Amino acid sequence: MQEVTVQPGAAPPLRLEKKTRSSELKKRLWRNKWLYVMLLPGVLYFIIFKYLPMYGLIISFQNYKPYQGIFGSEWVGFEHFKRLFTEPEFFNILWNTIVLFALNIFIYFPIPIILALMLNELRGNFFKRIFQTLVYLPHFMSWVIIVSISYVMVTMDGGIINELLSYFGFEKINFLLSNGWLRPMYIIQVIWREAGWGTIIYLAAIAAVDPGLYEAARMDGAGRMRQVWHITLPTIRGVIITLFILKIGHVLDLGFEHVYLLLNSMNRQVGEIIDTYVYTAGLRQGQFSYSTAIGFFKSIIGLIMVMLVNRISKKMGEEGVY
Amino acid sequence: MKKKSFSMLLTVLLAFSLVLSACGGGEKSKEATADPTPAPSNSNEEVSTAPEEPTEITIMLPLNTSETPPDTIKKEVEKLTNTKLTYQFFPADTYEEKLNTSFATGSLPQVTYLKNSTTFVQMKEAIKDGQFWEIGPLLSEFPNLNKLKPEILNNTKVDGKLYSLYIGRPLARQGMIYRKDWADKLGLSAPANVDELFEMAKAFTEQDPDGNGQKDTIGIVDRNELVYGAFKTVSAWFGTPNYWGTKDGKLEPEFTFEGYYDTMDFFKKVRESGYMNQDFAATSKTDAVKMFTSGKAGMYIGGSMQDIDSLHKDLIKNVPEAVLDTHSMVAGPDGNFAQWMIPGYNNIVLFPKSAVKDEAELRKILAFFDKMMTPEVANVMYWGIEGVHYTVVDGKAKPSSEKELIEREVKGYKDSVIGEAETNGMYESYNELPGRIHAEELLLENVKVGVADPTAALDSVTYMEKGVELQQIITDATYQYMYGQIDKAGFEKAVSDWKSRGGDKIIEEFNAAAK
Repeated sequence: MQEVTVQPGAAPPLRLEKKTRSSELKKRLWRNKWLYVMLLPGVLYFIIFKYLPMYGLIISFQNYKPYQGIFGSEWVGFEHFKRLFTEPEFFNILWNTIVLFALNIFIYFPIPIILALMLNELRGNFFKRIFQTLVYLPHFMSWVIIVSISYVMVTMDGGIINELLSYFGFEKINFLLSNGWLRPMYIIQVIWREAGWGTIIYLAAIAAVDPGLYEAARMDGAGRMRQVWHITLPTIRGVIITLFILKIGHVLDLGFEHVYLLLNSMNRQVGEIIDTYVYTAGLRQGQFSYSTAIGFFKSIIGLIMVMLVNRISKKMGEEGVY
Repeated sequence: MKKKSFSMLLTVLLAFSLVLSACGGGEKSKEATADPTPAPSNSNEEVSTAPEEPTEITIMLPLNTSETPPDTIKKEVEKLTNTKLTYQFFPADTYEEKLNTSFATGSLPQVTYLKNSTTFVQMKEAIKDGQFWEIGPLLSEFPNLNKLKPEILNNTKVDGKLYSLYIGRPLARQGMIYRKDWADKLGLSAPANVDELFEMAKAFTEQDPDGNGQKDTIGIVDRNELVYGAFKTVSAWFGTPNYWGTKDGKLEPEFTFEGYYDTMDFFKKVRESGYMNQDFAATSKTDAVKMFTSGKAGMYIGGSMQDIDSLHKDLIKNVPEAVLDTHSMVAGPDGNFAQWMIPGYNNIVLFPKSAVKDEAELRKILAFFDKMMTPEVANVMYWGIEGVHYTVVDGKAKPSSEKELIEREVKGYKDSVIGEAETNGMYESYNELPGRIHAEELLLENVKVGVADPTAALDSVTYMEKGVELQQIITDATYQYMYGQIDKAGFEKAVSDWKSRGGDKIIEEFNAAAK
């Protein structure tokens, strides 16, 4: 590929070179035409479903009334953002969101990796398959089901866990209605539902590790743990980091449905997150502009976090996602 | 080669443009159906000459069952009213969202049912803005619509103008449904006052009313709902006003009144003593009902007493010897009776200007509702088809024993019948269960001591904007108080929080509107 430099003021050569450049481009385009055709649906998808709807963000700077439309509504500038930041509950809500997110990153995130490593060590295909299917299954249950099963298990009115506690002479614990138990319940349910599903990509990455490496390590007398530590983990490091960055991008997407189902008057103090707040304050009262402003704020934080982590990972010599 | 690839690209583009134009075309075709008849034919309103074209009407409404009903009832109604109806059912649980998004995209159909009075409050701003047809002046043209009760119509007026038709409900249906067999066994009579109510909860818990030798029953079962659970009903018994009350000639919210605190103390005591389900703040309606119908709990308070039929049906599957009864006359500490009342409707119908093009079209739609208020049509929509879904006994409708069939085919339409039996002439229900017959008597008794919400017909801008969000503060504090997490000072702090975050304005605005 040759660099084309353009001299300012040199008209005739410029035209000439432009021509060669454009024909070069044409040629290249033509050579890879099928790749572009294949790319087209993806590009269109992003334009139609991701970029075009962004114009809706305009309403976060308006007092949007559905019947007046985007063009008819009154402009209010940063009014809704001001309301959000001055809301006495705001920092509490933000903190709750961050805590749940941290639980997701520090407790949930490593679990699929560990599970994948363990699955990988299982001998016997039959057993392995059965086990895999079993850990995948909860992913296909909706949050309503997961939360209802938990409710039946931990309720104080005849739930099995509290019955066991009292049988062994312990105090009953009010899991459902306490500030202290909301977060543990949340993260346990996330692990229950998602951990098995999360192993899929790691298992694929592990399967791609060259078996020769293990053989060589065994020759050198490395045991199981050594092999995992020195071969498996380093080879799937790239995958782990990519998934980590993507996870960070969803920094504030903690699953509205899940948290909303767990929420009640007794644990709202620690359980109200941005998503649930948008629902009660915004959508249920039809305050579209305010809800949009909050969603906008959330996306900006997500974007900043992704850029930050991406840069850090590049500094550390890893490949980022872009 | 070249040609082939080009045509391929073209195909892809074409496919996409088709998808796009399909989206765009949808709206156009909808507009076309919205105004099907050419102008001349609907300018004059005679029915005499040649069979008139059926009016096409699209209706959006909440659905309280799990599946969309089949066309059985719809076809019958179409025949009776000379219409072609398109019903758009949406699950009641998420109806507000559907309503808001349809409204935002300008795709509300000609006839739009709301969900309840709360959604009505949210729509008021748009109504004031002239997004819906005012029907007040036209009402007198329709003899049947004219029968609708003026006092209830008044409650649905916005700025003194009428925009909607209402779906009527008895003013005060709530009370308690309790295990008569347990009470008889323990020698208790229906609680005459709140102290006896507590004693009954205690006896049902401690005296082994089901006689299995184990202490595995509770007195009261409640759920995570202050208004439609037990709390509001009991608070009325304690003399708390209905949402708003007058204190020193000024409107104040219910939670500043003595009765509200008494009610919280009552439930706190009941819960601490173990006479009710401990997790009630996290218990859903389904779970609460299950607890009652499994024979674990003795009193179900706050729901409609008319629900006794369905509770009874499920309960006797588990406990064949169970006997239920209804009760609502529980006196407060001062010996007075009181019941809170709804404003007489549980839902309303609006007619968006975006879908109903002109007054002539509106008249046609109102004509459909006018026919709905005749006994023939109302009966079909409310009870179903005679001989299939119900039979007539003593001039009253007796639902068939196939409850599932009724639930599937009729229930979806039942909740959309405007007016009430007195005004639309449909059959009253024929009851066999003694508890239900008792319930019907109590409904009338309730109204005699009923307390209305003084703000029902009033407006407050701040309430519209922030009411739900602010109410959350009070709801949370109320539960926290009942669970002993905060004390009276803590609750008062929540109230002052409510006031400073906009409650003061709400009080001010309601008081200004009341003058």
